[in-house]
Amino acid sequence: MDILALLLDGFSIAVLPLNLALIVGGCFAGTLIGALPGLGPVNGVAILIPLTFAFGLDATSSMILLSAVYYGCMYGGRISAILLNIPGDEPAIMTTLDGYPMARKGHAADALAISGVASFIGATLATIGLTLFAPLLAKAAIYFGPADYFALYVMAFTTIGGITGTDPRKTLLAAMLGLMLGTVGLDPSTGVARYTFGSFHLYDGFDPIVALVGLFAISEILFFLEQKAHGGGLVPPGSVFPRFSRIKEGLGASLRGSLIGFIAGILPGAGASLGAVMSYSFEKRISDRGSFGKGDPRGVAAPEAGNNAASGGALIPMLTLGVPGSGTTAVMLAMLISLNIQPGPLLFERSPDLVWGLVAALYLANFVLLILNLPLIGLFTRVLGLPAWGLMPLVVAISYLGVYAITHAAFDLLVMVGFGVLGFVLRKLEFSLVPVVLGLLLGMDMENNLRRALSISGGDFTILVQSPIAIGIYAVTAGFLVLSLWLSKRSPPQMA
Amino acid sequence: MTDRLAGLFFFVLAAGYLWLSAGYVAGFGDPLGPAVFPRVIGIPAAILGLSLAIWPSHNATWAGRAGLLRQVAAMGLLLGYALLLEPLGFVPASFAAILGLSLLMGAPPLRGFLTAALAAPGLYLLFDRLMGLPLPLIGEMLG
Repeated sequence: MDILALLLDGFSIAVLPLNLALIVGGCFAGTLIGALPGLGPVNGVAILIPLTFAFGLDATSSMILLSAVYYGCMYGGRISAILLNIPGDEPAIMTTLDGYPMARKGHAADALAISGVASFIGATLATIGLTLFAPLLAKAAIYFGPADYFALYVMAFTTIGGITGTDPRKTLLAAMLGLMLGTVGLDPSTGVARYTFGSFHLYDGFDPIVALVGLFAISEILFFLEQKAHGGGLVPPGSVFPRFSRIKEGLGASLRGSLIGFIAGILPGAGASLGAVMSYSFEKRISDRGSFGKGDPRGVAAPEAGNNAASGGALIPMLTLGVPGSGTTAVMLAMLISLNIQPGPLLFERSPDLVWGLVAALYLANFVLLILNLPLIGLFTRVLGLPAWGLMPLVVAISYLGVYAITHAAFDLLVMVGFGVLGFVLRKLEFSLVPVVLGLLLGMDMENNLRRALSISGGDFTILVQSPIAIGIYAVTAGFLVLSLWLSKRSPPQMA
Repeated sequence: MTDRLAGLFFFVLAAGYLWLSAGYVAGFGDPLGPAVFPRVIGIPAAILGLSLAIWPSHNATWAGRAGLLRQVAAMGLLLGYALLLEPLGFVPASFAAILGLSLLMGAPPLRGFLTAALAAPGLYLLFDRLMGLPLPLIGEMLG
C-alpha cells in the first residue's frame, strides 16, 4: 500500500516533540476558542496565523497547529450549545436544538459525551476519507490546464456562498470586491502599479493576513457591541459520568451524519455549517418519532458528527486544488500562500512531508480531543463563566500584537481596522466575508492562469471553453447557481 | 434601503475601478495586459451592483442609539490603539485599549481596570519575553 507507507512517514513527522506539543496545545486552544461564544474557527485561526509567522514555525508545523485548532473548535462549539443554548460557533447551531433540552432534563453529561463521541467519529471518518480521496483527486488534478483552473476559480467564487439562502448576487459581489482588492499593487507580469493611488505602502498590495484578521477578529468586536445577550442560562453539567447506554443510542446517527457531513465538506463553499444542517435534517427525517427538538440523543449526535466530518472534508479541495471548501480552510490557504507554498496537485509530490505529516497529525489530534473532551470536560465548562468584557479586549490586543509582529508597521494596523469596519458593514448587509477573502487570495492566481491560457492560444478567449474539464466545471457552476437562486427565492435566509 | 445603497456603492466602485483600468497600458509581450483582468471583474460587478440597487432583497437593521455610540467609541479606540502603539509602546497602549473596550462591553470599572492592568504587561511578558516576539515596550514618546 502506497498510501500506508506515506502515512507512516507522516506519523514519524507528527510525533516530533514540537509537532506533538502543537497538536496538544492546538486541540486545547481550539476547544476553548470553540466553546467561547463569539469566537469560532475562522476567528481563532485568523488570530493565530500572525503568531505562527512571528514564531517562525515552518509550514508543516503551522498547518498542524492550525488544523488542530480547527478540529478543536468543532469539538468545543458544542459545549456552550448544550450548556448555554448559545452555539459556540456557527456550525454548532444545530446542536442547540436537542442538546440544550437534554441538558435541561438533567442529562447534560450524557449530551456532552454523546456529542464528544459523535465528533470523534465524524472527524476520524473524515480524516480516513481525506487519506483515501485526497491523493486520488490530486492525481486527477494534474491534468488541469490553465483554462481549467480559471474555470475552477470561477466555480469557487460562485459556489463559496453555499446554499445558505442568501442572495447569490451578494456572494458574487463579495467575491468581486475581494478580486478588486486583490489587484491593488504592482502587477507581477507587467510591473504596472494598479490602484495604489501613489501610496508606496500599497505597492505590495493588501497583505491577506492583515485583511483577514481585520475582517474576522476586529469585525466581531463591533458586532458584539450591538447585540444583546441571549440564551437560556448556564445549565450545570450535573452528574459527571455519562451512561454508556446513551452513547450507544447516538452511534447510528453519528455514522450517517459523518457521511453526509463529509460530502458537504468537500463541496466548495458549503463547509461545516451546511454539514451540520444536512445531517440533522436527514436524521430527523428518518428517525424522528416526535422526540426531536425535545432532547433526542440522535439529534445531538447527527449534527456534531456532521460538522466535524465536514471540516475534515473541507481540507480536501484546499490541499488538492488550492480552492478552499470553507471559511476556515480559506484562512489556512492564506497562510500557506504567505509561506510561499502553493496548494494544489503538485503539493502532494513536492511536499509529501507537509501533506502526510498533517494527515497523521489529524489522526492524533482526534484522540487528543477525545481525551480532552470526555474526562476534562469540567474544565471547559468552567471557562464559560468568563465574561465577554474580559475576553474580547484580549482578542483585540492579541490581533494587534500578532499583526504588528509580522509587519512592524502601524500602517498595517490601520489597514486591519479598516478591514474590520468593512467586514462589519458587509456582514450587517448580509454579504458573506469568505468570498472577499477568497478573492483577495486567489485573484492573482486567477489572473495568472488567464494569462497563461491566453498565451497558449495567442490571445484567443475561446480557449477558456474548449477543454472538456473546463466545460464540465462551468456546467456544475451553472447548476449550482440555478439551485441557489431557486433556494433564495423559496426560503428566507436561515444563516448569516 | 440598505441594499439599494450597497448596490449603488458597488456600482460606483466598479465604475471607478473600470475607469482607472483604462489608464493601465499593456506591457511588451504580455498577452493579457494589466487592464483586461480588472475589466473581467469590473463589468460584472457594475451590473450586479446596479441590479441590487434596482431590486433589493434585504434591509439591515442597525443598533439602537446606545449601540451605535458604543460602536463609534470602539472605532475610536481601535484607531487610537493602532496609531499610538508605536509612540506609546505596547504596554501603555494596550492597557488603555483593553480598559476602554472592556468598559464599553459593560465591565464593572474596578474589574475592568484590574483586567487591563494585569493583561497588558502579562501579554508583553508572554509574547515578547517568553516567546520572543519583538514588541515595543516603551515608545519613543515616553522613552
